[in-house]
Amino acid sequence: MRQDPLKSHPISRLLLRSASVLVPSRDRAEWLAEWKAELWHVLHSHREGRDEATGKIATHPGPTAFCLGAFQDAWWLRQHNPQQLSRLLPRPGSPAMCLLSLAGWAAATFMLAMCLPGARKAILPMPYPDADSLVLISPGGASMSSLPPVRLADYRSWQTTARPLFTELAYYQPLMKRVHIAPHRTAELSIVRASANLFDMLRFPSVSSKQEQDSQHLQGLLLSESAWREYFESDPAIAGRVVEVAGLRARIVGVLPKDRWRLPGRADAWMVADAPEVNSLPPNSKGFVLAAMRPSAFPDGPTGQHWMTVYRANGDSEMFECVSLAEQTRQPFSIYLFTLFVAFLALPATTPLPLGEYPARAERLGWSVRVRRWLFLAAKLALILPLVYFASMDLAYGNIASGLHSAGPVSSQYLQLASSFFGLLFAFRWALRDQRGRCPVCLRLLTNPARVGEASRNFLAWNGTELICAGGHGLLHIPEIPTSWFSTQRWLYLDPSWSSLFTDVHAAPAGVL
Amino acid sequence: MAPAAPIKARPAPIEAKLSHTAALILQAIHAGQVYGFSVMEKTGLPSGTVYPAMRRLERDGLILSKWENQSIADAEQRPPRKYYKLTRAGKDMLEALYKRYPLLEKLIPTPQMEKA
Repeated sequence: MRQDPLKSHPISRLLLRSASVLVPSRDRAEWLAEWKAELWHVLHSHREGRDEATGKIATHPGPTAFCLGAFQDAWWLRQHNPQQLSRLLPRPGSPAMCLLSLAGWAAATFMLAMCLPGARKAILPMPYPDADSLVLISPGGASMSSLPPVRLADYRSWQTTARPLFTELAYYQPLMKRVHIAPHRTAELSIVRASANLFDMLRFPSVSSKQEQDSQHLQGLLLSESAWREYFESDPAIAGRVVEVAGLRARIVGVLPKDRWRLPGRADAWMVADAPEVNSLPPNSKGFVLAAMRPSAFPDGPTGQHWMTVYRANGDSEMFECVSLAEQTRQPFSIYLFTLFVAFLALPATTPLPLGEYPARAERLGWSVRVRRWLFLAAKLALILPLVYFASMDLAYGNIASGLHSAGPVSSQYLQLASSFFGLLFAFRWALRDQRGRCPVCLRLLTNPARVGEASRNFLAWNGTELICAGGHGLLHIPEIPTSWFSTQRWLYLDPSWSSLFTDVHAAPAGVL
Repeated sequence: MAPAAPIKARPAPIEAKLSHTAALILQAIHAGQVYGFSVMEKTGLPSGTVYPAMRRLERDGLILSKWENQSIADAEQRPPRKYYKLTRAGKDMLEALYKRYPLLEKLIPTPQMEKA
């Protein structure tokens, strides 16, 4: 007997009942009855494992296939009843439409962030297991630099003098090199020449160095996925191909999955630089230094930002910043939290915080209606948070504004700071204003604005705008000029005797009036 | 002058406009598979295809559906089923479809054909 996850009768029936919700109401009972009847036979035959008619072992559609088919049936019925389909969709101005739109925008910004490499890298956590204890060392204030900041002479010196602080130090240097990809075809690639321990520290696949050359005396070359796609046409049999990197023959040992390289500096490919090769470089040539921190040297824990003072032979001292890789990932979110706090502080300066006055007959508003109002506001704010976060990440790190060219880490941070702050501020302002412009009972947007009164008679009668709830729940009066006796908007509830004037009364939820 | 005889419209030849899927379902019902599930089994079509197609065929007057008597189902301790059968128009359509899909009868043979 075949195994089917839905061989349990109650689960299958529940699924069929769920599918029947999609069926237009006039056909629902008929379809559900037929599905249930057929399900009985599907389950029966499934248990037997035999063809009902012939008794032979047959390929029955299992309960799962049958129940999924019920959803297809229901969808087909919906498609052939466009009026019914439109009833399922929320109406414009309804709270469901508002929340759906916000959720849609949040999802769209998230999807965009996942499509833009820069934004994706800024959002996703570091893929390195030791990201908390691995730090990038750079001169003070240059931790965000995308240019190599550390002199090779410093790296050499730290290998001996900084042993109490770091268990291991790795050096790498991205350089543009001409690579002969195929006969008569070359490309300029950014090759990272790194000390061998960098690959171990980041848990990359091993790449043979000059000293560990293969049988043909070739050095290993690890390709990035983007370079593999762009220059090698995504050749699945790329491993083992020999290319020439600036006159040096190298064998491609593999392709590094995208997003695995999260250190500063563009990298199309990686090669190991042996100790003699590193030592042969001029002392002033600059590169990046990655270090594994010794936990005992940092009582507060290795995570975060630390400072290291380096004393020069001439008596001067220089401060170096040690920022853990995990901290680098957290920085965009820290910026976002900061802007969230500042936006909350600045919000009262842009719009009044009260949601409006509801003095008249407020005692008749049921608690469920009031809770629904607050839940709606909370849901809007909750959806705004990811929406603005992902949008600001797209803008700052996705390099949309700079035409997909890297804007530089510092510029990106400023861009994120500004976009996140203004985005949050205006989104919160919109949320409050939107809430004030909705009926407190059915939460739909108020419509039909009408001018009431005259400005010249402001001290005799109110003048301003009147909005109507299409569900017939009431009128909203917004004063044009706030006065001591009419300072904020007021809600005027209508009793059910007015309902005959409104065509959309039945669409509103059960009223409390 | 004798009045002219009324002109009688000759029945137009049925045009086989059904898809192969619909033709399979018609043939399966003709071959004695009178429930949705047995049609699915015989044709190998998924439930999401068979039931909507049968509804279309019923709407077009090619098949008829009828619920089984509750007492029969109760006696067998199962829910009542919905039976399907070909209408006259359905049979004519199937005859026309045999010309368009010559292998239809061999794919789903009727019991008489199997015996022969």
